[in-house]
Amino acid sequence: MWLKMFEPSGPTTCLVMKVSDMEKELRQEAGKLLEEGTVDYIIGFAPGSLKFTTTPLITEDIDEINNLVINPFINNNLAKYLPEIPGRVGIIAKGCDSRSIVSLIQDKQIARQDIVILGIPCSGLVDLKKVEKLAGKERDKIDDIVVLADKVCITAGGEKKEVPTTEVLFDHCLGCELQIPKEYDFLIQEPAAEIRDYESSSKQIQELKKMSPDQRWAFWKEQFGHCIRCYACRQVCPACFCERCFVEESQPRWVSPVSQWQDNLIFQAIRTIHVAGRCTDCGECERVCPVNIPLRSLSKEMYDLVGEMFDYKTGMDVNAPALMTAYELVEAEGLIR
Amino acid sequence: MKQNTEEQPRIVGFLCKWCSYAGADLAGTSRKKYPSNLTVLKVPCSGRIDPLFVLKGLRLGFDGVLVSGCHPGDCHYQTGNYRARRRIVVTKKFLEYLGVPEQRVQASWVSASEGAKFAQVVEDVVENVRAVGPNNLFSDEG
Ligand code: SF4
Ligand code: SF4
Repeated sequence: MWLKMFEPSGPTTCLVMKVSDMEKELRQEAGKLLEEGTVDYIIGFAPGSLKFTTTPLITEDIDEINNLVINPFINNNLAKYLPEIPGRVGIIAKGCDSRSIVSLIQDKQIARQDIVILGIPCSGLVDLKKVEKLAGKERDKIDDIVVLADKVCITAGGEKKEVPTTEVLFDHCLGCELQIPKEYDFLIQEPAAEIRDYESSSKQIQELKKMSPDQRWAFWKEQFGHCIRCYACRQVCPACFCERCFVEESQPRWVSPVSQWQDNLIFQAIRTIHVAGRCTDCGECERVCPVNIPLRSLSKEMYDLVGEMFDYKTGMDVNAPALMTAYELVEAEGLIR
Repeated sequence: MKQNTEEQPRIVGFLCKWCSYAGADLAGTSRKKYPSNLTVLKVPCSGRIDPLFVLKGLRLGFDGVLVSGCHPGDCHYQTGNYRARRRIVVTKKFLEYLGVPEQRVQASWVSASEGAKFAQVVEDVVENVRAVGPNNLFSDEG
Protein backbone atom coordinates (compact mmCIF):
# COMPACT_ATOMS: atom_id res chain seq x y z
CA MET A 1 0.00 0.00 0.00
CA TRP A 2 1.65 3.23 -1.06
CA LEU A 3 -0.21 5.31 1.37
CA LYS A 4 0.08 4.15 4.93
CA MET A 5 -1.39 6.77 7.13
CA PHE A 6 -2.13 10.36 7.57
CA GLU A 7 -1.89 11.39 11.13
CA PRO A 8 -2.67 14.67 12.79
CA SER A 9 -0.03 16.12 15.06
CA GLY A 10 0.38 17.83 18.37
CA PRO A 11 -1.11 17.01 21.72
CA THR A 12 -3.96 15.22 20.00
CA THR A 13 -1.83 12.32 18.85
CA CYS A 14 -3.60 10.04 21.29
CA LEU A 15 -6.73 10.42 19.18
CA VAL A 16 -4.99 9.32 16.01
CA MET A 17 -7.08 7.16 13.76
CA LYS A 18 -5.61 5.47 10.78
CA VAL A 19 -7.03 6.68 7.52
CA SER A 20 -8.95 3.49 7.16
CA ASP A 21 -10.99 4.37 10.21
CA MET A 22 -11.98 7.69 8.74
CA GLU A 23 -12.79 5.99 5.48
CA LYS A 24 -14.83 3.36 7.27
CA GLU A 25 -16.88 5.99 8.99
CA LEU A 26 -17.34 7.92 5.75
CA ARG A 27 -18.39 4.87 3.77
CA GLN A 28 -20.87 3.91 6.44
CA GLU A 29 -22.47 7.34 6.43
CA ALA A 30 -22.47 7.67 2.65
CA GLY A 31 -23.90 4.18 2.25
CA LYS A 32 -26.66 4.97 4.71
CA LEU A 33 -27.61 8.11 2.79
CA LEU A 34 -27.97 6.16 -0.46
CA GLU A 35 -29.68 3.22 1.15
CA GLU A 36 -32.26 5.29 2.96
CA GLY A 37 -32.86 7.33 -0.15
CA THR A 38 -31.85 10.59 1.53
CA VAL A 39 -29.71 11.37 -1.49
CA ASP A 40 -29.73 10.30 -5.13
CA TYR A 41 -25.98 10.57 -5.61
CA ILE A 42 -22.80 10.53 -3.62
CA ILE A 43 -19.84 12.57 -4.79
CA GLY A 44 -16.47 11.68 -3.34
CA PHE A 45 -12.99 10.46 -4.18
CA ALA A 46 -11.90 7.05 -5.45
CA PRO A 47 -8.36 5.78 -6.05
CA GLY A 48 -6.94 7.10 -9.33
CA SER A 49 -5.45 5.01 -12.11
CA LEU A 50 -1.97 6.37 -11.41
CA LYS A 51 0.03 6.19 -8.22
CA PHE A 52 -0.60 8.96 -5.72
CA THR A 53 -3.77 10.13 -7.39
CA THR A 54 -7.47 10.03 -6.76
CA THR A 55 -10.34 10.56 -9.13
CA PRO A 56 -13.79 12.01 -8.52
CA LEU A 57 -16.44 9.40 -7.87
CA ILE A 58 -20.05 10.25 -8.65
CA THR A 59 -22.32 7.36 -7.97
CA GLU A 60 -25.83 6.18 -7.18
CA ASP A 61 -24.59 2.63 -6.75
CA ILE A 62 -24.23 1.50 -3.17
CA ASP A 63 -21.64 -1.09 -4.16
CA GLU A 64 -19.32 1.67 -5.27
CA ILE A 65 -19.31 3.28 -1.85
CA ASN A 66 -16.44 1.04 -0.79
CA ASN A 67 -14.23 2.83 -3.28
CA LEU A 68 -14.42 6.05 -1.30
CA VAL A 69 -11.04 7.13 -0.01
CA ILE A 70 -9.57 9.89 2.13
CA ASN A 71 -5.88 10.60 1.70
CA PRO A 72 -3.51 13.52 1.02
CA PHE A 73 -4.19 13.29 -2.73
CA ILE A 74 -7.89 14.14 -2.78
CA ASN A 75 -7.26 17.22 -4.90
CA ASN A 76 -10.41 17.97 -6.82
CA ASN A 77 -12.78 20.58 -5.57
CA LEU A 78 -15.91 18.49 -5.94
CA ALA A 79 -18.23 21.46 -5.47
CA LYS A 80 -17.76 21.96 -9.21
CA TYR A 81 -20.21 19.14 -9.95
CA LEU A 82 -23.06 20.30 -7.75
CA PRO A 83 -24.83 22.71 -10.13
CA GLU A 84 -24.82 20.02 -12.82
CA ILE A 85 -26.16 17.06 -10.86
CA PRO A 86 -29.91 16.77 -10.49
CA GLY A 87 -31.67 15.66 -7.35
CA ARG A 88 -30.29 15.45 -3.85
CA VAL A 89 -26.59 14.95 -3.50
CA GLY A 90 -24.32 13.85 -0.68
CA ILE A 91 -20.90 15.36 -1.11
CA ILE A 92 -17.61 14.72 0.64
CA ALA A 93 -16.04 18.04 1.52
CA LYS A 94 -12.73 19.24 2.84
CA GLY A 95 -12.68 22.70 4.35
CA CYS A 96 -11.96 24.48 1.07
CA ASP A 97 -14.59 22.43 -0.77
CA SER A 98 -17.14 23.33 1.87
CA ARG A 99 -16.39 26.99 1.27
CA SER A 100 -17.01 26.56 -2.45
CA ILE A 101 -20.27 24.76 -1.68
CA VAL A 102 -21.36 27.59 0.60
CA SER A 103 -20.33 30.12 -2.04
CA LEU A 104 -22.56 28.35 -4.59
CA ILE A 105 -25.43 28.51 -2.11
CA GLN A 106 -24.73 32.23 -1.53
CA ASP A 107 -24.88 32.71 -5.29
CA LYS A 108 -28.12 30.71 -5.45
CA GLN A 109 -26.66 28.16 -7.84
CA ILE A 110 -27.68 25.32 -5.56
CA ALA A 111 -30.11 25.00 -2.66
CA ARG A 112 -28.88 24.08 0.79
CA GLN A 113 -31.69 21.55 1.29
CA ASP A 114 -30.62 19.59 -1.79
CA ILE A 115 -27.12 18.99 -0.47
CA VAL A 116 -25.89 16.75 2.30
CA ILE A 117 -22.39 17.80 3.26
CA LEU A 118 -20.16 15.05 4.62
CA GLY A 119 -17.35 17.06 6.17
CA ILE A 120 -13.86 15.68 6.58
CA PRO A 121 -10.96 17.31 8.40
CA CYS A 122 -7.99 18.05 6.15
CA SER A 123 -4.35 18.42 7.15
CA GLY A 124 -3.28 19.58 3.71
CA LEU A 125 -2.81 17.96 0.34
CA VAL A 126 0.49 16.72 -1.04
CA ASP A 127 1.73 18.39 -4.22
CA LEU A 128 3.25 15.52 -6.14
CA LYS A 129 5.32 17.89 -8.25
CA LYS A 130 7.10 19.06 -5.11
CA VAL A 131 7.70 15.48 -3.99
CA GLU A 132 9.11 14.53 -7.38
CA LYS A 133 11.47 17.47 -7.22
CA LEU A 134 12.63 16.66 -3.71
CA ALA A 135 13.10 12.99 -4.50
CA GLY A 136 14.70 13.77 -7.83
CA LYS A 137 12.52 11.05 -9.30
CA GLU A 138 9.31 10.77 -11.23
CA ARG A 139 6.07 9.41 -9.87
CA ASP A 140 6.65 5.87 -11.10
CA LYS A 141 10.03 5.65 -9.40
CA ILE A 142 8.63 6.74 -6.04
CA ASP A 143 7.59 3.81 -3.90
CA ASP A 144 5.97 5.41 -0.95
CA ILE A 145 4.95 8.72 0.55
CA VAL A 146 4.03 8.67 4.21
CA VAL A 147 2.73 11.81 5.86
CA LEU A 148 3.36 11.88 9.59
CA ALA A 149 1.99 15.21 10.77
CA ASP A 150 4.87 17.65 10.37
CA LYS A 151 7.21 15.20 8.62
CA VAL A 152 6.89 13.35 5.36
CA CYS A 153 8.80 10.21 4.55
CA ILE A 154 9.51 9.62 0.88
CA THR A 155 10.83 6.23 -0.19
CA ALA A 156 12.29 5.87 -3.66
CA GLY A 157 14.58 3.17 -5.00
CA GLY A 158 15.34 1.84 -1.54
CA GLU A 159 16.32 5.30 -0.33
CA LYS A 160 14.39 6.97 2.43
CA LYS A 161 14.15 10.71 2.75
CA GLU A 162 12.46 12.67 5.48
CA VAL A 163 11.35 16.25 4.80
CA PRO A 164 9.22 18.79 6.66
CA THR A 165 5.59 18.57 5.54
CA THR A 166 5.67 22.28 4.68
CA GLU A 167 7.92 21.39 1.77
CA VAL A 168 5.49 19.07 0.05
CA LEU A 169 2.05 20.56 0.66
CA PHE A 170 0.38 22.66 -2.03
CA ASP A 171 1.04 26.38 -1.67
CA HIS A 172 -2.62 27.09 -1.05
CA CYS A 173 -2.74 24.49 1.72
CA LEU A 174 0.12 26.29 3.46
CA GLY A 175 -2.17 29.30 3.74
CA CYS A 176 -5.39 27.37 4.43
CA GLU A 177 -8.06 29.24 6.36
CA LEU A 178 -10.54 26.43 6.93
CA GLN A 179 -9.33 22.90 7.51
CA ILE A 180 -12.54 21.58 9.01
CA PRO A 181 -15.82 22.52 7.32
CA LYS A 182 -18.00 24.93 9.24
CA GLU A 183 -21.09 24.09 7.24
CA TYR A 184 -21.90 20.37 7.25
CA ASP A 185 -24.55 17.78 7.94
CA PHE A 186 -22.17 15.13 9.10
CA LEU A 187 -18.60 15.64 10.25
CA ILE A 188 -15.89 13.13 10.87
CA GLN A 189 -14.77 14.15 14.33
CA GLU A 190 -11.06 14.15 13.94
CA PRO A 191 -8.49 16.88 14.50
CA ALA A 192 -6.45 18.20 11.59
CA ALA A 193 -2.73 18.89 11.77
CA GLU A 194 -2.04 22.60 11.44
CA ILE A 195 0.76 22.83 8.91
CA ARG A 196 1.26 26.41 7.79
CA ASP A 197 3.85 28.51 6.04
CA TYR A 198 2.19 31.76 5.04
CA GLU A 199 5.38 33.15 3.59
CA SER A 200 5.94 30.41 1.05
CA SER A 201 2.20 30.26 0.43
CA SER A 202 2.30 33.75 -1.11
CA LYS A 203 5.93 33.93 -2.07
CA GLN A 204 5.52 34.64 -5.75
CA ILE A 205 2.89 37.32 -5.16
CA GLN A 206 5.23 39.12 -2.81
CA GLU A 207 8.04 38.89 -5.34
CA LEU A 208 5.82 40.28 -8.08
CA LYS A 209 4.80 43.16 -5.88
CA LYS A 210 8.42 44.17 -5.49
CA MET A 211 8.71 44.58 -9.26
CA SER A 212 7.80 47.66 -11.29
CA PRO A 213 4.46 47.63 -13.16
CA ASP A 214 6.37 47.14 -16.43
CA GLN A 215 8.23 44.14 -15.06
CA ARG A 216 5.01 42.62 -13.76
CA TRP A 217 3.30 43.08 -17.10
CA ALA A 218 6.30 41.54 -18.86
CA PHE A 219 6.12 38.59 -16.47
CA TRP A 220 2.47 37.88 -17.25
CA LYS A 221 2.99 38.52 -20.94
CA GLU A 222 5.64 35.83 -20.97
CA GLN A 223 3.52 33.43 -18.93
CA PHE A 224 0.44 33.75 -21.11
CA GLY A 225 2.51 33.18 -24.19
CA HIS A 226 2.47 29.56 -23.03
CA CYS A 227 -1.31 29.33 -22.54
CA ILE A 228 -2.92 26.93 -24.99
CA ARG A 229 -6.47 28.00 -24.16
CA CYS A 230 -7.48 24.52 -23.10
CA TYR A 231 -9.80 26.11 -20.51
CA ALA A 232 -8.93 23.48 -17.93
CA CYS A 233 -8.65 26.30 -15.38
CA ARG A 234 -12.20 27.36 -16.07
CA GLN A 235 -13.62 23.85 -16.29
CA VAL A 236 -12.22 22.83 -12.91
CA CYS A 237 -13.16 26.02 -11.07
CA PRO A 238 -16.31 25.74 -8.95
CA ALA A 239 -16.71 29.52 -9.13
CA CYS A 240 -16.91 29.41 -12.94
CA PHE A 241 -20.52 28.34 -13.21
CA CYS A 242 -21.77 30.50 -16.10
CA GLU A 243 -23.61 28.48 -18.68
CA ARG A 244 -22.14 30.64 -21.34
CA CYS A 245 -18.66 32.07 -20.96
CA PHE A 246 -17.70 35.42 -22.49
CA VAL A 247 -14.84 33.78 -24.36
CA GLU A 248 -17.34 31.87 -26.47
CA GLU A 249 -19.48 34.84 -27.33
CA SER A 250 -19.24 35.91 -30.94
CA GLN A 251 -21.50 38.98 -31.02
CA PRO A 252 -19.51 40.85 -29.90
CA ARG A 253 -16.37 38.79 -29.85
CA TRP A 254 -14.56 39.86 -26.71
CA VAL A 255 -11.40 37.85 -27.18
CA SER A 256 -9.95 35.96 -30.07
CA PRO A 257 -10.51 32.21 -29.79
CA VAL A 258 -7.04 31.73 -31.18
CA SER A 259 -4.30 31.42 -28.63
CA GLN A 260 -2.25 34.61 -28.54
CA TRP A 261 -0.82 36.02 -25.38
CA GLN A 262 -2.90 39.20 -25.43
CA ASP A 263 -6.21 37.37 -25.52
CA ASN A 264 -4.99 34.61 -23.23
CA LEU A 265 -4.07 37.18 -20.64
CA ILE A 266 -7.36 39.04 -21.05
CA PHE A 267 -9.24 35.76 -20.71
CA GLN A 268 -7.54 34.93 -17.43
CA ALA A 269 -7.67 38.48 -16.07
CA ILE A 270 -11.40 38.66 -16.70
CA ARG A 271 -11.96 35.16 -15.37
CA THR A 272 -10.20 36.18 -12.17
CA ILE A 273 -12.22 39.37 -11.87
CA HIS A 274 -15.48 37.54 -12.60
CA VAL A 275 -14.83 35.08 -9.81
CA ALA A 276 -13.84 37.78 -7.32
CA GLY A 277 -15.70 37.04 -4.13
CA ARG A 278 -16.35 33.47 -5.25
CA CYS A 279 -12.82 32.17 -5.38
CA THR A 280 -11.91 30.31 -2.21
CA ASP A 281 -8.22 29.89 -3.05
CA CYS A 282 -8.71 26.18 -3.58
CA GLY A 283 -5.77 26.22 -5.98
CA GLU A 284 -7.41 23.97 -8.53
CA CYS A 285 -6.85 26.28 -11.51
CA GLU A 286 -3.11 26.31 -10.97
CA ARG A 287 -2.94 22.57 -10.34
CA VAL A 288 -4.62 21.65 -13.60
CA CYS A 289 -2.90 24.12 -15.91
CA PRO A 290 -0.95 21.90 -18.33
CA VAL A 291 1.66 24.56 -19.02
CA ASN A 292 2.21 25.48 -15.37
CA ILE A 293 1.15 29.09 -15.45
CA PRO A 294 1.17 30.28 -11.82
CA LEU A 295 -2.56 31.04 -11.87
CA ARG A 296 -2.83 31.11 -8.12
CA SER A 297 -0.64 34.21 -8.12
CA LEU A 298 -3.64 35.83 -9.81
CA SER A 299 -6.52 34.23 -7.96
CA LYS A 300 -4.95 34.49 -4.51
CA GLU A 301 -4.14 38.16 -5.07
CA MET A 302 -7.79 38.74 -5.93
CA TYR A 303 -8.82 36.72 -2.87
CA ASP A 304 -6.68 38.97 -0.68
CA LEU A 305 -7.86 42.11 -2.45
CA VAL A 306 -11.54 41.53 -1.70
CA GLY A 307 -10.60 40.47 1.80
CA GLU A 308 -8.81 43.75 2.43
CA MET A 309 -11.21 46.04 0.61
CA PHE A 310 -14.51 44.58 1.73
CA ASP A 311 -13.55 42.45 4.71
CA TYR A 312 -15.07 39.57 2.80
CA LYS A 313 -14.30 35.87 3.09
CA THR A 314 -16.04 33.71 0.52
CA GLY A 315 -17.97 30.68 1.66
CA MET A 316 -17.62 31.17 5.39
CA ASP A 317 -21.23 32.13 6.08
CA VAL A 318 -24.10 30.53 4.25
CA ASN A 319 -26.40 33.43 5.14
CA ALA A 320 -24.11 36.23 4.01
CA PRO A 321 -24.94 37.86 0.67
CA ALA A 322 -22.48 37.16 -2.15
CA LEU A 323 -19.84 39.88 -2.47
CA MET A 324 -20.89 41.32 -5.79
CA THR A 325 -24.60 41.37 -4.96
CA ALA A 326 -24.11 43.48 -1.87
CA TYR A 327 -22.74 46.86 -0.94
CA GLU A 328 -22.15 49.24 1.93
CA LEU A 329 -23.32 52.82 1.57
CA VAL A 330 -19.77 54.04 2.04
CA GLU A 331 -16.83 51.93 0.92
CA ALA A 332 -13.76 51.82 -1.30
CA GLU A 333 -13.16 55.48 -0.53
CA GLY A 334 -10.60 57.41 -2.53
CA LEU A 335 -10.66 55.21 -5.61
CA ILE A 336 -13.48 56.97 -7.45
CA ARG A 337 -13.53 60.74 -7.70
CA MET B 1 5.72 51.66 -30.80
CA LYS B 2 3.15 54.39 -30.61
CA GLN B 3 4.30 57.90 -29.88
CA ASN B 4 2.52 60.71 -28.12
CA THR B 5 0.74 62.77 -30.74
CA GLU B 6 -1.63 65.63 -30.47
CA GLU B 7 -4.81 63.61 -30.54
CA GLN B 8 -3.32 61.31 -28.02
CA PRO B 9 -3.99 60.13 -25.47
CA ARG B 10 -7.14 58.45 -26.71
CA ILE B 11 -9.62 57.77 -23.93
CA VAL B 12 -12.78 55.70 -24.06
CA GLY B 13 -15.47 56.68 -21.60
CA PHE B 14 -18.39 54.54 -20.50
CA LEU B 15 -20.99 56.98 -19.25
CA CYS B 16 -24.29 56.23 -17.56
CA LYS B 17 -27.06 57.75 -19.61
CA TRP B 18 -28.94 59.10 -16.59
CA CYS B 19 -26.16 61.18 -15.14
CA SER B 20 -22.63 61.38 -16.54
CA TYR B 21 -23.81 61.27 -20.14
CA ALA B 22 -26.26 64.07 -19.41
CA GLY B 23 -23.45 65.83 -17.53
CA ALA B 24 -21.36 65.64 -20.68
CA ASP B 25 -24.26 67.12 -22.63
CA LEU B 26 -24.56 69.93 -20.14
CA ALA B 27 -20.85 70.64 -20.39
CA GLY B 28 -21.39 71.02 -24.13
CA THR B 29 -24.52 73.16 -24.00
CA SER B 30 -22.93 75.40 -21.39
CA ARG B 31 -19.93 75.77 -23.68
CA LYS B 32 -17.43 74.43 -21.19
CA LYS B 33 -14.13 73.70 -22.86
CA TYR B 34 -12.57 70.30 -22.38
CA PRO B 35 -10.14 68.14 -24.40
CA SER B 36 -11.55 66.24 -27.34
CA ASN B 37 -9.62 63.05 -26.58
CA LEU B 38 -12.65 61.26 -25.18
CA THR B 39 -14.72 58.76 -27.16
CA VAL B 40 -18.02 58.45 -25.35
CA LEU B 41 -20.05 55.27 -25.11
CA LYS B 42 -23.46 55.51 -23.51
CA VAL B 43 -24.49 52.73 -21.12
CA PRO B 44 -27.85 52.35 -19.39
CA CYS B 45 -26.26 52.30 -15.93
CA SER B 46 -22.78 52.10 -14.47
CA GLY B 47 -23.91 48.66 -13.27
CA ARG B 48 -23.88 47.60 -16.92
CA ILE B 49 -20.14 48.12 -17.18
CA ASP B 50 -18.48 44.73 -17.25
CA PRO B 51 -14.75 44.69 -16.40
CA LEU B 52 -14.47 43.25 -19.90
CA PHE B 53 -15.24 46.68 -21.35
CA VAL B 54 -12.21 48.11 -19.61
CA LEU B 55 -9.82 45.47 -20.90
CA LYS B 56 -11.36 45.50 -24.34
CA GLY B 57 -10.80 49.26 -24.48
CA LEU B 58 -7.14 48.82 -23.61
CA ARG B 59 -6.84 45.91 -26.04
CA LEU B 60 -8.23 48.09 -28.83
CA GLY B 61 -5.46 50.54 -28.12
CA PHE B 62 -7.14 53.24 -26.07
CA ASP B 63 -4.60 54.81 -23.76
CA GLY B 64 -7.06 55.18 -20.93
CA VAL B 65 -10.53 54.13 -19.83
CA LEU B 66 -12.98 56.27 -17.90
CA VAL B 67 -16.08 54.85 -16.30
CA SER B 68 -18.57 57.26 -14.85
CA GLY B 69 -21.93 56.93 -13.16
CA CYS B 70 -24.35 58.56 -10.75
CA HIS B 71 -23.24 59.56 -7.28
CA PRO B 72 -23.86 56.92 -4.61
CA GLY B 73 -27.50 57.16 -3.61
CA ASP B 74 -28.58 58.66 -6.94
CA CYS B 75 -28.83 55.57 -9.16
CA HIS B 76 -31.86 55.56 -11.42
CA TYR B 77 -32.20 51.87 -10.60
CA GLN B 78 -31.47 52.37 -6.89
CA THR B 79 -28.41 50.15 -6.49
CA GLY B 80 -26.72 49.80 -9.88
CA ASN B 81 -23.87 52.13 -9.03
CA TYR B 82 -23.24 50.52 -5.64
CA ARG B 83 -22.70 47.21 -7.38
CA ALA B 84 -20.67 48.89 -10.09
CA ARG B 85 -18.45 50.41 -7.42
CA ARG B 86 -17.33 47.03 -6.09
CA ARG B 87 -16.63 45.77 -9.58
CA ILE B 88 -14.80 48.87 -10.71
CA VAL B 89 -12.47 49.15 -7.74
CA VAL B 90 -11.67 45.46 -7.85
CA THR B 91 -10.89 45.74 -11.56
CA LYS B 92 -8.75 48.82 -11.06
CA LYS B 93 -6.74 47.29 -8.22
CA PHE B 94 -6.30 43.98 -9.99
CA LEU B 95 -5.14 45.56 -13.22
CA GLU B 96 -2.62 47.55 -11.22
CA TYR B 97 -1.31 44.29 -9.82
CA LEU B 98 -1.00 42.90 -13.36
CA GLY B 99 1.12 45.88 -14.27
CA VAL B 100 -1.35 48.31 -15.84
CA PRO B 101 -0.48 51.81 -14.56
CA GLU B 102 -3.34 52.95 -12.35
CA GLN B 103 -3.79 56.15 -14.38
CA ARG B 104 -5.11 54.13 -17.32
CA VAL B 105 -8.29 53.12 -15.54
CA GLN B 106 -10.23 55.88 -13.84
CA ALA B 107 -13.68 56.26 -12.41
CA SER B 108 -15.85 59.16 -11.38
CA TRP B 109 -19.33 60.07 -10.20
CA VAL B 110 -20.81 62.88 -12.26
CA SER B 111 -24.46 63.90 -12.03
CA ALA B 112 -26.59 65.37 -14.81
CA SER B 113 -26.19 68.83 -13.30
CA GLU B 114 -22.41 68.69 -13.04
CA GLY B 115 -21.33 69.89 -16.46
CA ALA B 116 -18.38 71.73 -14.98
CA LYS B 117 -17.25 68.69 -13.01
CA PHE B 118 -17.47 66.57 -16.14
CA ALA B 119 -15.22 68.95 -18.05
CA GLN B 120 -12.77 68.96 -15.17
CA VAL B 121 -12.78 65.15 -14.92
CA VAL B 122 -11.99 64.79 -18.62
CA GLU B 123 -9.25 67.36 -18.37
CA ASP B 124 -7.64 65.55 -15.42
CA VAL B 125 -8.03 62.10 -16.94
CA VAL B 126 -6.38 63.22 -20.15
CA GLU B 127 -3.53 64.78 -18.23
CA ASN B 128 -3.02 61.71 -16.04
CA VAL B 129 -3.07 59.33 -18.97
CA ARG B 130 -0.75 61.52 -20.99
CA ALA B 131 1.73 61.32 -18.13
CA VAL B 132 2.03 57.53 -18.51
CA GLY B 133 2.43 57.74 -22.26
CA PRO B 134 0.88 55.78 -25.10
CA ASN B 135 -0.61 52.39 -24.39
CA ASN B 136 1.80 49.73 -25.60
CA LEU B 137 0.51 47.08 -23.21
CA PHE B 138 -0.66 44.73 -25.92
CA SER B 139 1.99 45.36 -28.50
CA ASP B 140 4.12 42.40 -29.43
CA GLU B 141 7.40 44.23 -29.11
CA GLY B 142 9.11 45.26 -25.95
S1 SF4 C 1 -5.39 25.85 -17.86
FE1 SF4 C 1 -3.54 27.06 -18.37
S2 SF4 C 1 -3.20 26.65 -20.58
FE2 SF4 C 1 -5.31 26.01 -20.13
S3 SF4 C 1 -6.55 27.85 -20.62
FE3 SF4 C 1 -6.08 27.93 -18.40
S4 SF4 C 1 -4.23 29.20 -18.27
FE4 SF4 C 1 -4.40 28.53 -20.43
S1 SF4 D 1 -10.13 30.63 -9.38
FE1 SF4 D 1 -8.79 28.82 -8.99
S2 SF4 D 1 -8.42 28.90 -6.75
FE2 SF4 D 1 -10.20 30.22 -7.15
S3 SF4 D 1 -12.01 28.89 -6.85
FE3 SF4 D 1 -11.47 28.83 -9.07
S4 SF4 D 1 -10.14 27.02 -9.27
FE4 SF4 D 1 -10.21 27.53 -7.05
